[in-house]
Amino acid sequence: MNKTIVIGLLMLLSVQLSAQRFATKTGFIRFYSEAPAENIEAVNRQVNSALDTQTGDFVFRVLMKGFQFEKALMQEHFNENYVESSKFPNATFSGKVLNADRIDWTKNGTHQVEVSGDLTIKGITRKVNEKGTFEIKDGVINGKSKFYIKLADYDIKIPKAVVKNIAETIEINVDVSLTALNN
Amino acid sequence: MSKQTSLILLAVVVLGAIAAVYVYFFVYNKKHPDFEKLKPDFSMDAATLFEAYKSDNAAATALYNGKMAAISGVLTGIDESGGLTIAVFAIEQGMFGDEGLRINMLPGHAEKLKDINPGAQITIKGYITGYNDTDVVLEHGSIINQ
Repeated sequence: MNKTIVIGLLMLLSVQLSAQRFATKTGFIRFYSEAPAENIEAVNRQVNSALDTQTGDFVFRVLMKGFQFEKALMQEHFNENYVESSKFPNATFSGKVLNADRIDWTKNGTHQVEVSGDLTIKGITRKVNEKGTFEIKDGVINGKSKFYIKLADYDIKIPKAVVKNIAETIEINVDVSLTALNN
Repeated sequence: MSKQTSLILLAVVVLGAIAAVYVYFFVYNKKHPDFEKLKPDFSMDAATLFEAYKSDNAAATALYNGKMAAISGVLTGIDESGGLTIAVFAIEQGMFGDEGLRINMLPGHAEKLKDINPGAQITIKGYITGYNDTDVVLEHGSIINQ
């Protein structure tokens, strides 16, 4: 999915009433690879995310160079060889909370949700459909999800030399605390 | 086995061991750079860098992503959400509120930042990760002048 679509969706969100729009600039995304030779983890804590509770529109934008690894070499390989972050600096998600209309966003509570949309990594867009939870507490919406992606789906190739170091399927954890926009 | 062959084999084993130790410690497990000590690749005021990304994201991305920058400007706020301490240089208002530069501070400098009042002129060094359509985002921030 390209930038124009993301901007378009963000603009669409902006015309809604402010009480319906929630956002964060400090969302958390972690990915985890479990492989025979080693486990690899990376986190990004400056993820942009926005939710329109009336329409269910839900977007993410992640800067790939913002992922922090334990080992510097892993971070270099991630940026230079695997996701080519100089060429593809962002990953994006643009989709909908499918059951948004069945949630009372004004009351405290925890809700199971299904989110469907376009996930773009390394310039390749795939349809995804994942489950998660939204916990509403005192006006803050905390969204969490765990799902898996196949590296091959996004043209991320693992060299034979490190095939035992990197899993073919990566676990993704998302954790965002969305607060109401004032403007 | 002759003495000469034994010596050659020993030398090969020793060299192999040294190479393995070198690769393990200095390649595979090499440390992240000490961002506090890295010299900035360039210096710029916050508004100019923000405008560069906003007006031509692709060009600015190619020029500045992955670089250490010394950013000068008026500190407009400190965001302590998400377990982070972020120096905010708000340049303009957008659909999601303030837009500008956001610099996630190194732990030691996070505490120093909290002692600085918004409105102060400040220079912070940080590693640019890119522009996310609302802000230019930097990591590993350290205060170099206030």
